[in-house]
Amino acid sequence: MNGPYDWTLWLMLLAIGLATTLPRASFIVLGSRVTLPPVVQRALRYAPAAALAAIVAPDLLLVQGQIAPLNPKLLAMIAVVAVATRWKNPWLPFIVGMGALHGLFALLGR
Amino acid sequence: MSLLERHLSPDFRAGAREGFVLFLPLSVGLVPWAIVTGVAMTSAGLSPLQAMGMNIIVFAGAAQLGTLPLIAAGAPVWLMVAVALAINLRFVIFSAAIAQGFRGVGIRGRWVCGHLLTDGVFAVTLDKMLHTESRDWRLGYFLAPSLWSWVLWQGFALVGIGFAGQIPKSWSLEFMATIALMVLMIPMAKARPMLVSVLVGGGTAVALSALPLRLGLFVGIVAGILAGFAAERWHAWRAGQ
Repeated sequence: MNGPYDWTLWLMLLAIGLATTLPRASFIVLGSRVTLPPVVQRALRYAPAAALAAIVAPDLLLVQGQIAPLNPKLLAMIAVVAVATRWKNPWLPFIVGMGALHGLFALLGR
Repeated sequence: MSLLERHLSPDFRAGAREGFVLFLPLSVGLVPWAIVTGVAMTSAGLSPLQAMGMNIIVFAGAAQLGTLPLIAAGAPVWLMVAVALAINLRFVIFSAAIAQGFRGVGIRGRWVCGHLLTDGVFAVTLDKMLHTESRDWRLGYFLAPSLWSWVLWQGFALVGIGFAGQIPKSWSLEFMATIALMVLMIPMAKARPMLVSVLVGGGTAVALSALPLRLGLFVGIVAGILAGFAAERWHAWRAGQ
């Protein structure tokens, strides 16, 4: 990701930056004069969870475009969920997840 | 009075001290996130300069981690913006909730504070931001923990970038980004309609993964929002029966 594509990358980063700063600054800058209709506010509450799920699910369930229910990533993530729902330590999910993934790789001879 | 001149005001300094001390123990939680984000940006193919550029321009872990696969896959910019907006919409609600805390602050100060708004600082400072009289005190109280978060975020992302550069590709470090996004999602999915939103959003994205330009992701987000809202309505309707 360099050379002639460089400037497009920076444009992408600026666009993503705007899509972050504008929601954050919105009401702080506008003041509380403007309000969103309650129906819209309630519908939007689902956006972050839906977006995270739509990003994560294909990564966990698909192997080369095919659904693979017992692949190492999915199994490792089950361990992550089990750990993250029990303990608050912010390092633990990463240690357990990467450990489980590499353990499964070793078991499967990859 | 400019933002900088306020540093001289005793109220500003008193607020800054209180906000910083309050947030300091919580701020440790940012460290693994910043490291993972640094690792993920490098694993996605960004050079150290590009990665730090992203870290400074975007300054939001979830939005950075969520858009990285799109950058790596060469998806269209509008889709990156749509995904970032979807992930960041919660900030519109935070921004509306804390807006009163910036009464009396000039437009430039408001932009700076808005750019620095994060989940952690919002949760910790909201109450006193709304209920404290002195404008300078409020500004210090918000800015000190926010700037501290910024410094931690940049510093430890740099650690992650350096670390990822030393590790071979076979270690699959990019999986840390998926772990991070999953950990963010877990507390959200506790309410029933939210779980519906997650399942429909994820399921749709998987089913439509063959669509070009990662359009399945966009359809998945829209379907997830609609499903969550419909489930909430259905729940309310059943409760009313």
